[in-house]
Amino acid sequence: MTEPLLRVEHLAVGFPSKAGVVQAVTDVSFDVMPGETLAVVGESGSGKSVTALTVMRLHPKATRISGSIMFQGRDLLALGDDDMRAIRGNDVAMIFQDPMTALNPVFSVGSQIVESIRIHQQVTKQAAWERAVDLLALVGVPEPKRRAAQYPHEYSGGMRQRAMIAMAIANEPKLLIADEPTTALDVTVQAQVMEVLHEVQQATGSAMMLITHDLGLVAGTADRVQVMYASRLVETGGVDDIFYRSRNPYTRALLDSIPDLHATTDRLEPIPGNPPSLLRPPSGCPFRPRCQMAIDTCATAVPELVMVGEGHASRCHRTADITLNAEVTS
Amino acid sequence: MTTIDAAAVAEADAIEGLSEQPKSFGRLAWERFIHHRLALVGLIGLMLIVASFIIGPMINDHPFDKPDVLNRLQGPSKEHWFGTDEIGRDLFVRTARGGRYSILIGLLSAVVSTAVGTLIGAAAGYFGKMVDAVIAQVINLVLVVPGLIVLSVFALNFGSNWWRLSLVLAALSWVRIARVARGVVLSIKEQDYVMAARAAGASHSRILFRHILPNVVGAVTVEITLLVGSIIVLESTLSFLGLGVRPPDTSLGRLVADAKGNIDNDPLRVLTPGLVIVLIVLCVNFLGDGLRDALDPKARSNRDD
Amino acid sequence: MSTPVLEVRNLVTEFPIRAGVLRREVGRVQAVSDVSFDLMPVETLGVVGESGCGKTTLGRSLLRLIEPTSGSVRIGDVEITTADRKSMTRVRSQLQMVFQDPYASLNPRIPVRDIIAEPMRIHGVAKDEAAERVADLLRRVGLLPEHGNRYPHEFSGGQRQRIGIARSLALRPRIIILDEPVSALDVSIQAQVLNLLDEIQDEFQLSYVFIAHDLSVVRHTSDRVAVMYLGKIVEIGVRDEIYDAPAHPYTHSLLSAVPVADPRRERSRQRIILQGDVPSPANPPAGCRFHTRCPIAQERCRTEAPELRTVVGGQQVACHFPLEPGQTLVDIASR
Repeated sequence: MTEPLLRVEHLAVGFPSKAGVVQAVTDVSFDVMPGETLAVVGESGSGKSVTALTVMRLHPKATRISGSIMFQGRDLLALGDDDMRAIRGNDVAMIFQDPMTALNPVFSVGSQIVESIRIHQQVTKQAAWERAVDLLALVGVPEPKRRAAQYPHEYSGGMRQRAMIAMAIANEPKLLIADEPTTALDVTVQAQVMEVLHEVQQATGSAMMLITHDLGLVAGTADRVQVMYASRLVETGGVDDIFYRSRNPYTRALLDSIPDLHATTDRLEPIPGNPPSLLRPPSGCPFRPRCQMAIDTCATAVPELVMVGEGHASRCHRTADITLNAEVTS
Repeated sequence: MTTIDAAAVAEADAIEGLSEQPKSFGRLAWERFIHHRLALVGLIGLMLIVASFIIGPMINDHPFDKPDVLNRLQGPSKEHWFGTDEIGRDLFVRTARGGRYSILIGLLSAVVSTAVGTLIGAAAGYFGKMVDAVIAQVINLVLVVPGLIVLSVFALNFGSNWWRLSLVLAALSWVRIARVARGVVLSIKEQDYVMAARAAGASHSRILFRHILPNVVGAVTVEITLLVGSIIVLESTLSFLGLGVRPPDTSLGRLVADAKGNIDNDPLRVLTPGLVIVLIVLCVNFLGDGLRDALDPKARSNRDD
Repeated sequence: MSTPVLEVRNLVTEFPIRAGVLRREVGRVQAVSDVSFDLMPVETLGVVGESGCGKTTLGRSLLRLIEPTSGSVRIGDVEITTADRKSMTRVRSQLQMVFQDPYASLNPRIPVRDIIAEPMRIHGVAKDEAAERVADLLRRVGLLPEHGNRYPHEFSGGQRQRIGIARSLALRPRIIILDEPVSALDVSIQAQVLNLLDEIQDEFQLSYVFIAHDLSVVRHTSDRVAVMYLGKIVEIGVRDEIYDAPAHPYTHSLLSAVPVADPRRERSRQRIILQGDVPSPANPPAGCRFHTRCPIAQERCRTEAPELRTVVGGQQVACHFPLEPGQTLVDIASR
């Protein structure tokens, strides 16, 4: 078996606030294998973005973190700032949701790519510029020579996101972290950008962590999926395990609540209530107040993440009662 | 009235994730404010300073303007807390009097500039188009005018007492408020809740007074505190140049000016009123800082969503 | 056949582009360009399109929150575009709106009770009756009357959207314009709000204009669907016609671009990836506005703007070369 590229173990992230500690990530462990696409799905407040930012060590200063993040055998949480900077943008690169705020408006797109190359590689400005133009061509920016000299505001939303991808892959990272990379884009442009990401991955062989709330995007791009709810990992498995053989009530309820593009539905099956407060989470399983299957045990003990199949794990006291394709009721 | 089943309400609130007690915007702002350490320091400091300006001279009773040649240029003592000046006037009493004027001038011009600035700025922002274009140009014009020169000219002609001086200062300061108010109104009038009020058929005055102005208050309040600080400094500058309050009356700036000739022998005389200016301005700015955080509409409750 | 509750004819809304110190007009953006449709009683008309297609401007023009430039919008016997203040106020009680952003659409300084009561206060409903109606409305949208004392910031996005819906119901309107009512909400909460909208439509016999960019949501909620591109309706018809046999190349590529939560379908699908971005509405292409991105555009499309006309499937399409049922863009483009 190959070694994982990234191994996160028992990661916990808390944000101290006046009212107490907001526990954004609780006991999250996972691996990312070389070249694979791992999707992390969840709703707002589930902890998916915080997990990604913590891997990049881009979390706020006053954060309480425990656990370990091993990248190619080195614990990122134990690295000094200089060592972390050498990894960031080089071995691990990030693509953000809003390219307008992630690109600096006062520098040309080309020079920003050049800068990210020259931070990590000893090359001449000339060579870096040529590489920047090549990268823009690779991500499908038309007339890359002319466009490289332009400024971010001269780019459309989709083009900006491409430019950001070009910058992220400039040093051929082994791991790309894409945090809602297409949420701000229109659906036809989203399709273009996802296609570019796919091609880039094919060309460079890099692994990708895709953070998203869009289950459609996950179905089309991920090899493995990891579902988060209220700061915890609730289910993880291959993409088909999650979509067709889910053993977790939250995942199932989430899939049931989205309207279908290809069939006409009469009534949706919403999940009642709201996600819990991370400041004062309910006792036991955090999904219990909204769960159709909850039993007494769920109120007292947080369920463990247990293996339910090859590479498929679920966190639920009633995993055994959720049989494949069976109607699930209490 | 049906009886409210408190337990049922609490249960429903728990499921929906609501806190136990409803809190108004004002109450939340107050809670944020009293948890803001600097702001409290500013508020208490300011209250102490004002109190000492008022109560101090009652305890340490000396006339502010009567020369007392026998007690010239004394150092601080039990009798004269801050010492005396060249003609034997008690410097603590004079500092308190000057400080009162400085604060009065700061407050009055801030109030006047706020009233004028908010009204003009809000009109520019709300009605837009030509109204806005004209007002924007006037604001820009006032902003580029070299304030100190205009002030000097005006002060020479009108500035003999504290309220006239305040008005002159206000005439130069309202643009700062107007600019802030205009900006805030411009963004608020695009808010969906203003759209919703229009969709319900609300009139201009209802929209302005119920939906827009209450939301301008926060931003403007902060600007007022900053303005009070800078007006006090400006007034001190004018008085220092001999253009502000006329003798025998005094202000903090004039006290510094009076003492400057003797700075080598008696640096304390320059430092005391100077320090009082710095203290007042610091307190006012701390207060403004706290208000900014407390009244920030983007700072929601402690919901962690 | 029953009469429409809302008739829109040749509606045009333009924005001036201003520049310089005197804010002189230097050009115009036609955000809504010659749009016509009818809205029938208790019907939902879905309006879909990408950003810049004019769908939000269309919604706001219907209520005159943005003044339309020309064309007509009729509710019953009132012509909205020329109505005076008095008849406009009367019309507003029949035509209400729900906004996209549940954080921006409720005034943070006013308790929820007063937010819901405001339309009634403006329209002179007696205080006691208004208070009673507020309690009913809160209950109807799944909150408690006691929640009326609370301020908007205490509620989650989904709850705030329900409060916005309660406000829109306060005057017992016949029509509600829903402008992206669920796009700011998490998926699990979206379904709650969509079901609520569905229930109150039956209960209060409402007609909806449902503006959204999410094609799955529009399919679920709408009886008929209008697809907009750069200010124009390019295709309009009964929901299943549009979704099962789209005739306009834009509708087709839009539908094919939506990722669905079904990995097997995703793996086998033929995706038509449109080239480029939506052109600027300030300077729309000549001829058919879609021709710059259309995979099957021909010479005629560059010069002649197509009119809406009925095609085999039953829907109306503005295209010189509409697709026939069962035909896909991939077939034609590869031919």
